[in-house]
Amino acid sequence: MAGVSTKEIKNRIRSMQATRQITKAMEMVAASKLRRAQSQVLSARPYFEALYGTIHDIVDANSDFASPYLQKRDGNKVLYVVIAGDRGLAGGYNSNVFKLVMAELAGKEATVLPVGKKAVEFFKSRNVNTLAVHYGDAANVSLGDCFTVAKLLSKAFLKGGYDEIYVAYTSFVSVLTQTPAVLRLLPLIRQETGKEGERVSDILYEPDSVRVFEEIIPEYLGGMLYGALCESRAAEQAARRTAMDSATSNADEMIDKLSLEFNRARQAAITQEITEIIAGS
Amino acid sequence: MTPFSLKIVTPDGVRYDGQAEELVVRTTTGDVGILAGHINYVAPLGMGEAAVLVDGQKRYGACIGGMVSVVNGAVTLLPTTFEWADEIDPDRVEVSREKAEEILQNNASGTTDILLAKARLKRALVRKSVYSRKNR
Repeated sequence: MAGVSTKEIKNRIRSMQATRQITKAMEMVAASKLRRAQSQVLSARPYFEALYGTIHDIVDANSDFASPYLQKRDGNKVLYVVIAGDRGLAGGYNSNVFKLVMAELAGKEATVLPVGKKAVEFFKSRNVNTLAVHYGDAANVSLGDCFTVAKLLSKAFLKGGYDEIYVAYTSFVSVLTQTPAVLRLLPLIRQETGKEGERVSDILYEPDSVRVFEEIIPEYLGGMLYGALCESRAAEQAARRTAMDSATSNADEMIDKLSLEFNRARQAAITQEITEIIAGS
Repeated sequence: MTPFSLKIVTPDGVRYDGQAEELVVRTTTGDVGILAGHINYVAPLGMGEAAVLVDGQKRYGACIGGMVSVVNGAVTLLPTTFEWADEIDPDRVEVSREKAEEILQNNASGTTDILLAKARLKRALVRKSVYSRKNR
């Protein structure tokens, strides 16, 4: 009776150790990938911020609204670029973005451009209209790809294919915190700052505002997409590292508990045997 | 000359952040020189040389794509790629130029390939000419 139970416990300990080894390895891999992704984010972030800041300064100072990129439309056709990961086992990383996007999509005539295998699969299973599924590999999307997508998107926007374009990504706040976010890319809507002194006064556009925006907006979109991608990648690794770290410590705890149980069962078996021998003699 | 604050930021990181006396860049409509006290200004960038005057010393860089803006006296250069003359690898430029020319001379190349090769050749030539200014 006791012999069967010690064997069972032994097997469970062994399988737990195997799992622990896997989670530990995944944690280490994520940690080393995180370091690379983190340095990429840190170098891309100033560009991301400067680009966003400058474009918004320019838009806020614009007074002729001649460019179609600055005009708000009443339509309901929206496009979401959703950046998620290629693999699971990263805590809530993928599902947090999806939850946010699904909530935003409600009641809109929406199309999604998924980036990352998980995103492609998720929107396929939900029967959401998707565009170009060939960005199924988030880890290999390059800066060049971002600019290609940006050009396509701005063309589609000008043609009236979409009235609004958003990007959904996960922002890498720190190694321990990552928050999903949705950012509107187009149209660029002018914000009234209210304080006249703070507003940038008239801007000289060369050759003219329509053509300046025509040239700059695809660059802006490309830069923003790249920035969002860098943030998401770092966030994915950080989320995976944290998830695997807690999985490893859970496994450790489990192994400790089972070892204790195993030793008790073994001791009980020995005690019983001795008792039987003494009683028999 | 009066200095102004200049920032050159690319997706790969900050390439310059500090004071400068003069900036000359190639926009899509031609070369533009910017001095302190410039009016608020935006222009898309073409492919070309950028020259920055810092402490009376001229520094050259290969500046490709993006935009230049002046907002309340602060100049921001946001190119897609930017390399200072001493960061350019002449061997890589030469390889890139040869490859582009090969595609251009091949009659079987498609239209998109030709467009890409033309842009590539242009970039290689810009980098080459910037590199040649390195030791001046």
